[in-house]
Amino acid sequence: MFRHTPFRIATLLALLVGMVIASFFAGYFGLEIMSEIIVLAILVLALDLVAGFGGMVSLCHGALLGFGAYAFAVFTALLGWDPSVAMIAAIAATGAVGWIIGALCSGSHGIYFIMVTLAFGQMAYSFVFGAAFLGGDDGMSGITRPDLSAIGVDLNDSRSFVLYALVCAVIAYLFAAQFLRSGLGRSLVGVQQSEQRVRALGLVPWRTKAHAFGVSGLIAGLAGVLAAQHIMYISPGLLSWTVSGEALVVVILGGLGTLVGPLVGAVAFVLIKHEVAAVTPYWHLVVGVILIAVVMSRANGIFGFVEVRLNRRRAAKVAATDVKTDAKLGKTEGQVRDA
Amino acid sequence: MLEVKGLDKSFGAIHVTRDVSLSLNMGERRVILGPNGAGKTTLFNQLVGEIAPDKGTVTLGGEDITPLGVAARASKGLSRSYQKNTLFDGLSLRENLGLAAAIHTGAARSVFRDSMTDKKVCEIVEETAHLVHLLPHLDLMVSEVSYGIRRQLEVGIALATRPRVILMDEPTSGIGPEMSHAFHTMLNDLPRDLTLLIIEHDMDLAFDVADSITVLNYGEVVFDGTPDEAQGSDLLKEIYLGSWEDA
Repeated sequence: MFRHTPFRIATLLALLVGMVIASFFAGYFGLEIMSEIIVLAILVLALDLVAGFGGMVSLCHGALLGFGAYAFAVFTALLGWDPSVAMIAAIAATGAVGWIIGALCSGSHGIYFIMVTLAFGQMAYSFVFGAAFLGGDDGMSGITRPDLSAIGVDLNDSRSFVLYALVCAVIAYLFAAQFLRSGLGRSLVGVQQSEQRVRALGLVPWRTKAHAFGVSGLIAGLAGVLAAQHIMYISPGLLSWTVSGEALVVVILGGLGTLVGPLVGAVAFVLIKHEVAAVTPYWHLVVGVILIAVVMSRANGIFGFVEVRLNRRRAAKVAATDVKTDAKLGKTEGQVRDA
Repeated sequence: MLEVKGLDKSFGAIHVTRDVSLSLNMGERRVILGPNGAGKTTLFNQLVGEIAPDKGTVTLGGEDITPLGVAARASKGLSRSYQKNTLFDGLSLRENLGLAAAIHTGAARSVFRDSMTDKKVCEIVEETAHLVHLLPHLDLMVSEVSYGIRRQLEVGIALATRPRVILMDEPTSGIGPEMSHAFHTMLNDLPRDLTLLIIEHDMDLAFDVADSITVLNYGEVVFDGTPDEAQGSDLLKEIYLGSWEDA
């Protein structure tokens, strides 16, 4: 079950402080990269919630992100709603869509679950691609950012936007962590471990799965809204299954089922992508090699790798101190063993 | 408390449950004996709702539960444990019991409250751990404890939903004779108002724990009586013990 260990909290704080400091030193291009990291981080948070804690490996999270982005664009650019109202409505709508997809897919498992979610994602992609009122393959422009001038913040400034997106990411993280520590989140882990057993205890697994997918949809919706606000132009590419695939790669790279790991993964992924792309256009190759290495090391991603080693070292230290204390107290070896 | 009337089930040409009727009073401990392939587990699966019978009814506390599914029957107070451990392997013993208790109290559905710190859930966890002798091991992970402790947890999870009736599928399966005896004592110490229906291979358990014994053979009830009557029954010796000697 989800726990906040000191190492996890330290990692979170380091990421947060690092981002805030970086935002004051980064130039325009750096700030763009940071916005990209934050959007991806929120998306992988949503994906880890269902994949890492519910065993629901989804290939439609790109489509959920795209749905959130398009919903925001429709509400603002087509219907002329206030961006903050549109934002809440788009997030809620994506949550509802997530719940429906989760409910419909909850009966399938493993590879079948992946395929059904992929089908949903591709359906959404094809629809948006062909829908004239959504601009078809031309996409949509004219998307506005929320007006925070009342509190003295101009979101059209890149730095302010990064900090605003960061606040959204913190809220998304706290929301996800709170969900995982709630009764519903804990029973999601039970459903992942043994659906047969929770059913025999009186829980209806599909409901728990659908609720979790709905919560994940809310978070993915937020990522979509931020993506739309960031670029202020959206295209059907956002809903592509490759976006879902990339999110899955990031979750695995960071550490599935740790919630913190995928955030580390998002930072690592975007940085590798931009740094390597500057040298060679074959940056996918480098990411691929790293992913293979991570998976073959049998560690649970970069974060899981460090976490497991730290825990082992701490356990060894505790054991060593115990023996020392016992020796000081003048216990014989036999007594220590009995204790 | 639990009443089964005329239960019948066939898989194609194989008639696995033949007109089985049983009646358990509140607090009764009944053991179902029978050789391999007698249809004990299939009968269990029909009682808990995993398999639908072709004919017959199951009533719990006077209410017909035949049309209900597994989860709905469980929330009516019918719990089960498995012959093969079906635990939440990646979790601690406390979390295992906590999940079951939270499903019972409804804390498992809450989006705002943490079920593991819920007062009622914690109470049930402690109480159940006491009943199945798991108090010293609560904070260990399932992967860290012995097979015998896992068997205790298997029963503990079923108990943590505070059921009225528990169906146990070979609770002592796979544990040695010494531990078996301790296990029987543990079962005997369970609250007396709890109704138990236990599938067992092991005759000792039947005589240690049971108030009554039902013997199944080829899906049919061939004996229904007290352990004393069972010990004196020639029929039982022939079909149950006889089959052992033949083997």
